[in-house]
Amino acid sequence: MTTKVTAPGKKNLETTLEISKAIRAYYAGVKLAKMEGKPVVWSYGLVPREIFHAAEAPVLYLEHLPLMIGAKQLSGHYMQIAEEEGFSRDVCAFHRCFLGCSVAKEREPYLDKFFVSPDLIVASNLPCMSETKSFLYSADYHDAPYYFLDAPINTWGKDVPEYAIDYFAGQLQGTIDFMAEKGIHVDWDRLKEAVRLSKKLVELWREIDVCRRAVPAPISSVDGLTAAYPLIQLPGTQLGVTLFERLLEELKGKVERKEGVLEDEKLRLMWFGVPPFYNMGLLNYGEKYGAVVVKSMVEYIAGGGYDPAILDPDQPLKSLAYKALIDIVNPTAENMLDFIVDAVNDFKVDGLVGVVKRSCGLLPGYMRLAKDTVYENTGVPTTIFDLDGLDIREYDDATSKANLDSFIEALLASKRR
Amino acid sequence: MGSLEKLMDIFENPQKEIDEWKKDGKKIVGHRCLYVPEEIIHAAGMLPYPTFGTPEPISKADSYFQPCACEFVRNIFDLSMDKKFDFLDTMVLCNTCDAVRHLYNMWDSYIDSVPCYMVNNPQKMYDESGIQFYLHELEKFKELMEDLSGTKITDDALKNSIELFDETRRLLKELNALRMRDIPAIAGSEFLRVSMASMLMPKEKANLLLKEIIDEVKDREIKDGDGPRIMLTGSVMDNPTLIELVEEMGGVVVADDFCTSTKYFWYETKPNSNPMEAIARFNLERSVCGHTHPVSNRYDYMNELIDDFNVDGIIYFNIKYCHPFVYESATIKKQLEEKAPVLILETDHSLSGLGQLKTRVQAFIEML
Repeated sequence: MTTKVTAPGKKNLETTLEISKAIRAYYAGVKLAKMEGKPVVWSYGLVPREIFHAAEAPVLYLEHLPLMIGAKQLSGHYMQIAEEEGFSRDVCAFHRCFLGCSVAKEREPYLDKFFVSPDLIVASNLPCMSETKSFLYSADYHDAPYYFLDAPINTWGKDVPEYAIDYFAGQLQGTIDFMAEKGIHVDWDRLKEAVRLSKKLVELWREIDVCRRAVPAPISSVDGLTAAYPLIQLPGTQLGVTLFERLLEELKGKVERKEGVLEDEKLRLMWFGVPPFYNMGLLNYGEKYGAVVVKSMVEYIAGGGYDPAILDPDQPLKSLAYKALIDIVNPTAENMLDFIVDAVNDFKVDGLVGVVKRSCGLLPGYMRLAKDTVYENTGVPTTIFDLDGLDIREYDDATSKANLDSFIEALLASKRR
Repeated sequence: MGSLEKLMDIFENPQKEIDEWKKDGKKIVGHRCLYVPEEIIHAAGMLPYPTFGTPEPISKADSYFQPCACEFVRNIFDLSMDKKFDFLDTMVLCNTCDAVRHLYNMWDSYIDSVPCYMVNNPQKMYDESGIQFYLHELEKFKELMEDLSGTKITDDALKNSIELFDETRRLLKELNALRMRDIPAIAGSEFLRVSMASMLMPKEKANLLLKEIIDEVKDREIKDGDGPRIMLTGSVMDNPTLIELVEEMGGVVVADDFCTSTKYFWYETKPNSNPMEAIARFNLERSVCGHTHPVSNRYDYMNELIDDFNVDGIIYFNIKYCHPFVYESATIKKQLEEKAPVLILETDHSLSGLGQLKTRVQAFIEML
């Protein structure tokens, strides 16, 4: 039997509260733009945000809206609507949720604050192929023109050949042309400026990342996931840079004061896979044992794992293309595995928690490889268990906690030896 | 033994073909997917060999892939872990779905006996910049095949291979056309076996047998061939169990849209003085698979099948967690229902719930 004993995650930072306000303000801005008759874009994961910001385009993102309503435990209702529409329960929970929001006849007041129908859709197969098809359904439903931005799979690691960068840069140019046809114009100087700001943002993120390595951990991943919002949604904006400057300042203070999430930190965990947005308290669950989730891979999923030196504002499209192609979630696995091993070392991680979202075609595929690679390179063990981070109907609180209990107890016992 | 029987036998026992090919030290390149350029492998003097799954339950692979990964891909990996593909000299995959992308990661990390290579094909069709990108990838693949075989691949060799493979496609299409008749000359389950066998064996030999089969069957009518005319489509279909089930329930499977049959042969290579470009355009100007864009071309192709084969009902077969087709099914159902009723079946690759499928298929056929 499924129990649902959920709790919000505990946040420790003032800046993450500011970021939460910025999120709400962003959606209010999209809503306002629609009311003013501006065309609204729907887009997705790793389509470089800098392009949209350079066009001042209001955009709803497929992966973010479900997260927002997932945190309010409303996502199951909209998934149900998508399933009634004919979508299998094997379709990604994020997609199902977004599809449900897309076709719902009536929407909860909370969703209505954020939801705006599309005037055009920019889809991509980066990082996973699935959304291109679920967006097609929405495009039909809303009679919105649709552009598909094709990204090659990264089979080259960090040495991406010029012809692949050229191809994806051409796809980005195609996106710009498509948007222009619909009345959304990218200003070239603004795009260069967006790339410069994006570079600054990642430089700040890396400094933030260094602070977060401190022992005791100044923040847990509950704050980290909110803190990642500017990295994912606001690259190319001054707002993103400003928020990260404040975040860095606040973190530096905590580190100087040796202020940790826990006074007596015994274990440091890393989370791999989608955390339960409807029950972020689960990330605090291990704290009763002295275990802190110091890092979550999802925080780095869109641009957190690369060297900002690759961004050249004078070559904006090539820079954005390269950034997208080497992203840790553009399979194949090489960049992802390097990232995890480095993270485990840098953050002095004692154990990796891998959670499998049953309906995801992307992240579960890394689990065994990550487990073996991390163990071979660092000796750090991994636990893997099922947990759908968005579909509360599939959540089993007791089992999830039992999985964490047994893993943490084993880690503690191993430390005692 | 007639030629039809011979090909049926090769479908059941492909090992004989493998042994025959390998006895002179010739190499075999395994692949998984329609978009792997077989002609380049052949032009290097090697046998392109499509890897199919088995209905057997999965064992070792389940500790490497999560159970929510496509069962077909897990099945292929299971076979590779059991060394069933050790006769291959290399394995080639391409960029067609998230599960195959992970199969590449897994194969590369855990299967030492057979190296694995990924051909990076764009998923956007009919796009000139995609063709240019793909040509770079094909050149790299060609070099790999040259190194593996020790044979320089000439333009003439490529042209010969293209012509040979197109001949196979023409013959399969000709045989398939015998299913357009009011009473088809060949049953759907027979045809799938023939099609798959011809993919597994050297094309020089397959083409001879296909010509003979066309002569053998062209004047016959299949038994109980006047039932509702069914088209099957969806995920990869690598054994005829579901088709046989439809036939057993009184349906006549007159058309199918699988990468083991119609998708493989429906289109031919367009003439081009540059054979590498001909191959690139062949692969990027046929939108037959669920992973391709734009989908409008795919709908056109499927509508053509429905019309040509006078289809009464469509069964859309989804292997669980086969994402390109699982995602597509709701959209495509709306499209295809304008032509004929559609039944969506979501099931395991091993078709373990055959009893339930039977009930649903029976009800669908009765409704037709």
